[in-house]
Amino acid sequence: MGNVLEITGLKKHFGSKQVLSGVTLSVPESCVFGFVGRNGAGKTTTMKSVIGLLKPDGGEISVCGERVTYGSTKTNRFIGYLPDVPEFYGYMTAKEYLLLCGRVAGMDSKEIRQRSEELLELVGLSGEKHRIKGYSRGMKQRLGIAQALINRPKLLICDEPTSALDPVGRREILDILKNAVGQTSVFFSTHILTDVERICDRVAFLEGGRVALSGNIEEIRKQYADTAVEVQPEKPADAALLAEHFSAGEQSDGCFLLKNASTEDAENLMKFLLENHIAIVRFERKEPDLENMFMEVIGE
Amino acid sequence: MKFLSGFITFTGKEFLELRRSGRLLIFTVIFVLLGVMNPATAKLTPWLMETMADSLEASGLTITEYTVTAMDSWVQFFKNMPSMGLLITVVMFGGFFTSEYAKGTLIPLLAKGLSRSAFASAKTFTMLLVWSAGYWLSYGITFAYTDYYWDHTVVKNYAFAAFGLWLFGVFLLCCIVFFSSLAGSSAQVLLGVGAVYIALTLAGMVGTVSHYLPSFLLQSGDLLTGQAQPTDYTAAVCITAAASFLLLMASDPFTAKRRV
Repeated sequence: MGNVLEITGLKKHFGSKQVLSGVTLSVPESCVFGFVGRNGAGKTTTMKSVIGLLKPDGGEISVCGERVTYGSTKTNRFIGYLPDVPEFYGYMTAKEYLLLCGRVAGMDSKEIRQRSEELLELVGLSGEKHRIKGYSRGMKQRLGIAQALINRPKLLICDEPTSALDPVGRREILDILKNAVGQTSVFFSTHILTDVERICDRVAFLEGGRVALSGNIEEIRKQYADTAVEVQPEKPADAALLAEHFSAGEQSDGCFLLKNASTEDAENLMKFLLENHIAIVRFERKEPDLENMFMEVIGE
Repeated sequence: MKFLSGFITFTGKEFLELRRSGRLLIFTVIFVLLGVMNPATAKLTPWLMETMADSLEASGLTITEYTVTAMDSWVQFFKNMPSMGLLITVVMFGGFFTSEYAKGTLIPLLAKGLSRSAFASAKTFTMLLVWSAGYWLSYGITFAYTDYYWDHTVVKNYAFAAFGLWLFGVFLLCCIVFFSSLAGSSAQVLLGVGAVYIALTLAGMVGTVSHYLPSFLLQSGDLLTGQAQPTDYTAAVCITAAASFLLLMASDPFTAKRRV
């Protein structure tokens, strides 16, 4: 599986502020890649460098094997880009805007028409006849995805596509991105970790101008696997009993928590519950959540 | 090929924008009015004089018989066009480039592969076309009425004088292109163009230099009476054309490297 995007040692400063100090990451084909970092961590800077809108101080970026150069737009034929706050020409309709984008991308009229209809359907704007100036933020964001996908890019770059939206709008955008994976790889930045958990295959945490952690989400989870098992017995006193029997665990607030529990540990725990007729309210295998991982990575 | 298709597409977008924003209509109305106004003002002069004669006489001015000629109409044209037509054009196009940078509307298109020089060329072309069309429309209207009402032979070189004024307009629009490649807002662009105009006016006070400046093209008085000939303007025409071209060329690398 080849990489659609490879970034090596990307550096950039603004004035005296070193925003990126050697970002290295790669986005494989057919993948949803979450790019996570705090506000101001350099996510937008990285993305703008990829589409040649910013001149990096150092490092290399290649898209589909071709090197990106600043000011030139050659590699952008592989890319669809959705800016953080997309602005379109308010006097056009969605269809007219897609026609403009398609023409700029060098597509022929028939293809544009066909593709526009497909995409407006995909983003739920197919019935929309009004001009863009009356659109809500969510609608603009959806049109933004449609314009980004018009020329069937290999890589869809979205800069915080969900940050400014209400929960319903966010869910819609995430679903659209998830559905786009059949056609393209998605590289999207966010600071909302539940979004990443919901749709991403891979993730990279940007912190201190570098990628502090990156990889397949499942693998990272295993790496940070303090998968714990938590049991809440009906009678709080039983928690103490469990703690007595399983010395590795601990009890608090009538619950029993066994950290770093293997599958075997969990089985033993269940067996014990059964044998001692302990009724339970809850038996939960805790997955490490990204938020905890992220906090650990950024050292807070 | 890539440049050309980008240029054509973007020019189409510009005209759609001018039409839908209503600016094309306003612009057309203004230039038609400007065209009609010149002969109309000339035509109305005797009547105005008559109605004001009493009050003028009271203040000690006596009005003698005043005959209006084609000259009055053209003098109006060369007075109104720079002070209104050209000014409106420059103000209207002051933010023509910078609004795209400021709003971020250009980013999705650049990300789609639109070349920056295609963008800048399309904008420049649109400005020049709109200015030229409006200007010559106004000229045509003034010419037609003047020709209909009066004897045109008393006015000399009006077509060349009109060409000079048009070329000066082109020069100012090229200044807009140049300043837009550096500036972040329409105010900065207009400030730049204003500074050029003031500098030209100041430099024009030096007798010998003034003949070589673009602003010399605004002095049409002597041309109309026949006291000056088009050949006297050769240097100013060549220098203005060259300066306009150089401004466009100089803006290109800045546009290519500017942050959007």
